[in-house]
Amino acid sequence: MIEQVLSALLAVVAAIGASVTYFYGSNWLLDRLVADRRAPDGTYVSRQRARDAVRPWLFLAPALLVLGVYLVYPVVETLRLSFFGSNGDTFVGAANWTWAVQNEGVRTAVRNNVLWLLVVPSLSTVFGLLVATLADRVAWGNVAKSLVFMPMAISFVGASVIWKFVYDYRGAGSEQIGILNAVVVALGGEPQAWITVEPWNNFLLMVILVWIQTGFAMVILSAALRGVPEETIEAARIDGASDVAVFFRIIIPQIFSTILVVWTTITIVVLKIFDIVAAMTNGQWGTEVLANAMYNWMFRGGGHFGRGSVIALMIMIAVIPIMAYNIRRFREEEARR
Amino acid sequence: MITSAFRRLVLALGVVGLLASAAAQDLVFPIGEDDRFDWASLERFEALDLTGQTIEVFGPWLTVDEELVNSVFAYFEHATGAEIEYAGSDSFEQQIVIDVQAGSPPDLAVFPQPGLAADLASQGALEPLGASLEQWTRENYAAGDSWVELGTYADENGEEDFFGFFYKVDVKSLVWYSPDNFADAGYEIPQTMEELIALSDQIVADGGTPWCIGLGSGDATGWPATDWVEDIMLRTQEPSVYDQWVEHEIPFDDPRVVNAIETFGSFAKNDEYVQGGAQGVASTDFRDSPQGLFDVPPGCYMHRQASFIPSFFPEGTELGLDVDFFYFPPFEAEDLGNPVLGAGTVWGMTDENPAARELLDFLTTPLAHEIWMAQSGFLTPHTGVNLDAYANDTLRGQGEILRNATTFRFDASDLMPGAIGAGAFWTGMVDYVGGESAESAAADIEEAWQSLE
Amino acid sequence: MNRRVFGLPLTWGKLLVHLGLAAIVIVWTVPTLGLFVSSLRDKDQLITSGWWTALTASEQTAAGRLLGRDAEATDDGRYVLRGDVLEAEGRSIVAFGLDQTDLRAHAPGDTVDLGGLAFTLNEDGTYVATSDTPIPEDYRERVFYVEAIPPTFTLANYREVLASEGIDRAFINTFTVTIPATVIPILIAAFAAYAFAWMKFPGRQLFFAIVVGLLVVPLQMSLIPLLRMYNDIGAAFGVPSKTYLGIWLAHTAFGLPLAVYLLRNYIGGLPRDIIESAQLDGASHFDVFTRLVLPLSIPALASFAIFQFLWVWNDLLVALVFLGKGEDQIVLTSKLREMLGSRGDNWEILTSSAFVSILVPLMVFFALQRYFVRGLLAGSVKGG
Repeated sequence: MIEQVLSALLAVVAAIGASVTYFYGSNWLLDRLVADRRAPDGTYVSRQRARDAVRPWLFLAPALLVLGVYLVYPVVETLRLSFFGSNGDTFVGAANWTWAVQNEGVRTAVRNNVLWLLVVPSLSTVFGLLVATLADRVAWGNVAKSLVFMPMAISFVGASVIWKFVYDYRGAGSEQIGILNAVVVALGGEPQAWITVEPWNNFLLMVILVWIQTGFAMVILSAALRGVPEETIEAARIDGASDVAVFFRIIIPQIFSTILVVWTTITIVVLKIFDIVAAMTNGQWGTEVLANAMYNWMFRGGGHFGRGSVIALMIMIAVIPIMAYNIRRFREEEARR
Repeated sequence: MITSAFRRLVLALGVVGLLASAAAQDLVFPIGEDDRFDWASLERFEALDLTGQTIEVFGPWLTVDEELVNSVFAYFEHATGAEIEYAGSDSFEQQIVIDVQAGSPPDLAVFPQPGLAADLASQGALEPLGASLEQWTRENYAAGDSWVELGTYADENGEEDFFGFFYKVDVKSLVWYSPDNFADAGYEIPQTMEELIALSDQIVADGGTPWCIGLGSGDATGWPATDWVEDIMLRTQEPSVYDQWVEHEIPFDDPRVVNAIETFGSFAKNDEYVQGGAQGVASTDFRDSPQGLFDVPPGCYMHRQASFIPSFFPEGTELGLDVDFFYFPPFEAEDLGNPVLGAGTVWGMTDENPAARELLDFLTTPLAHEIWMAQSGFLTPHTGVNLDAYANDTLRGQGEILRNATTFRFDASDLMPGAIGAGAFWTGMVDYVGGESAESAAADIEEAWQSLE
Repeated sequence: MNRRVFGLPLTWGKLLVHLGLAAIVIVWTVPTLGLFVSSLRDKDQLITSGWWTALTASEQTAAGRLLGRDAEATDDGRYVLRGDVLEAEGRSIVAFGLDQTDLRAHAPGDTVDLGGLAFTLNEDGTYVATSDTPIPEDYRERVFYVEAIPPTFTLANYREVLASEGIDRAFINTFTVTIPATVIPILIAAFAAYAFAWMKFPGRQLFFAIVVGLLVVPLQMSLIPLLRMYNDIGAAFGVPSKTYLGIWLAHTAFGLPLAVYLLRNYIGGLPRDIIESAQLDGASHFDVFTRLVLPLSIPALASFAIFQFLWVWNDLLVALVFLGKGEDQIVLTSKLREMLGSRGDNWEILTSSAFVSILVPLMVFFALQRYFVRGLLAGSVKGG
């Protein structure tokens, strides 16, 4: 046992050590190899410029290498497969693309993804901001934050059981074990098989993701809130601004860039949403989403790589507007400073 | 800080682990001691020396089933010295595709669905098992020809070969019930489908609920309905029509198929027939659905499900006493004999390995069947095994249903292409139970099937 | 902002803050509480009654059985069947009946005629059935009763998870995967984020655009090409294709786009004059980064560390694909999934294992939370 722990620790140290060594080593080497020197005539030659040209690439190299191998290459491969048939051998031209455009299941998935995109990022961000703000004003704020954060820490397998105990349905008359139906029955209503009720079941699934992602929004926004300089707030207060006014006129503008980052990140999580749908409904009862459709086409029942790839690419195309927006903001930020 | 907490945690867990690790089980039944077993069939393997060889087997079995299959392997390992590495996964269907695609398959794969084995064979991922095993299956399994047929697929060049060997079979045409509840209410076990329907009406008239049906199964939701429809197909149509349906020689929305779906609907979509009403059918988890049999007063009187369902009965349930089964009966009016729907696991060779071939050979011995029969959850069409080896009367009774079958047909959804049998058929049935018409649900499945071809 | 009002009555606004926050916290906690309570319940109870009923005493109907094969003869020439219908401690009989339709026909302690036997069911669940004639071997009768169940909890589900063979090893394996797979991407991303934020080089915007775009690559899509590559490398160099190094790099790559994106946003928001004044003093970008930017970025690094840790810790898919299934590589999530059985029949394992696996992430959260404190940043950094 001790031996296993030691070998595990060794692996951990070696892995982290190697990456630290790379950054220190390569920069040290750069400073050595391209050091400033005295020319033969005795003048001092600064090679700062040369070092500045190389250094960004030393900083970036590991990231670009890893991303290139693990993400760019699969994307290219997917693009290729999207023009091939079920097992990636026969060229079929645009057949998969026309299939995707005409297929009703894919259309439902697109519609649902749009719904998810509208609801989840905004609700998660709003709730996250609300908790982050309120928690700073009460003594038990840290407890509150930890409890709201907890869903993030629960593995997906656990989360799906949790929500089974919320949405579960038993026939009218028998004892309900899902809390939602228990509440409905207690209020005198009829129990419902919630996850089969179209189109509301989509929203019930979204609730699960909001429940998970609010913790993420809260942690990031909470860090940003702590970065808001106290003086600006005090100044506004002295001018007689109310708490609400301070929040909307002073705090929000200052953390706006972080709000956008949180919103973008959750939007991207939503585009890729897979686990919740797969475990709760597997896309039945009109709850299909793109990532689940992709997984089903790729891996289930033998698989059809061409169609799976097309759906994957559709997800990636959907991110272009978001990417464009972020780039614009990136530029504006550059211009400002 | 994290590290020290981690070390403490790990050490604490280590102690728990040491206390719990059971003494490694070797052979469940000592060799030569119990005369229910055909020990002689082991001799051939004693002569074989495979020391140092490893056979990787990948299958869907976990926990209890994993222990059971390992208990069978133990005899082969003991006799030959080979080492068998069994790995199980509950996402076997996806994992095996990924492993094969990535070029790192195991030696043997245990497919829960022949359809998936056929898919892999057509990609050239399976090795032919050879003529002698094919011949053996034909001669030694009850209805051997149909088992050979079920294991014969087209390879990547479209040429048919024997790729799949069946070991471990399930019977699906079973209706579970509580003998006491039947006796208290004065109900008789129905011998025909007409009687079964009359009994259901009788139960309703007496103020009870006849059936428990649940289709929920996480990402496989819908599959229990496909078994119903298949069983009814076999009871309303000739076996040849069933085969045509499986082979897609008749469309999925053929009136005969639609009729079978509607017959299923006459049970599942009837609020009076089903516990929780029709609305609950689709979302009730199949694992929870038999619970109604054990409620006081009874939540339902009958539950149609395959032979594996007892593992979901409440703890302490005694088979044969608290709960028993009867054969899902045929329509008297149709005169189609005693059809039986079943399923089974098919073993395919995903990587050539001579030792793995020896293991498959071992699986043809009566011993390899009897060891598992004597424990639990195992049925076999092997005609050479000693039926006394079955662990209990329930298993033996199921074995008899298997042997008395005038028609045996394999679960159709397992034979259809994966996208249908493990996809459109499931979702179609969920849609049907949710309110769609049988014609339209069947038409959707047909459309999905056509788009594959 | 945080003026305390101890000793003073709460203002209305303050009360509203408390109530609002409490409402959110309750809504967010109830589902998890349900799981927690469920994890302390008995397997059979899980699917028959709601978890909230576990907190109060409840009643349940059940059946008990008398079997002739358990009968014994006594000295005085009578024949007796004895037993106990209640298996669990603490329960008691409220009423019983001989017919399912009339469960409350008799009070505990009553003696009634049960198929020729004089039958008494006591409040504690024990029963006696006596007869003057021998009780036939095939005698079988059921009695039905209403039992009172006090709030009961059991640790059996946790014991089952923690005592399972190899779970300790799975814990170690998971740490072996998780720690490097958290630290490496943070390190790499921090350098890259700094480069994107403060260094000048051709193609900067293009590369950043690509990184943001890669955020959306669905993980499942890249599995097969990568696994194929791993196998080729493994075959070419004669090394195993499923290694810890392989999964570290995979997790690093999958977490990197978000890390670069978040950290660039944060590092880019640091005040320009700090960095420029340091450079005027002759510090290289490397010095600026390691001595100035890195310490200032600790809150952002800590928050990303938490998320990356959680993803890797709770990941199942990547581990299934890139690690072997043997005990030297199996991770906690795979191990717990295995314990569910091929048909996922063990709800009780699911409930307790969810809490076993949540413990470590919560510890990490609490450990890192203190790095978010205002003092580290106060006044020096603008938002984000």
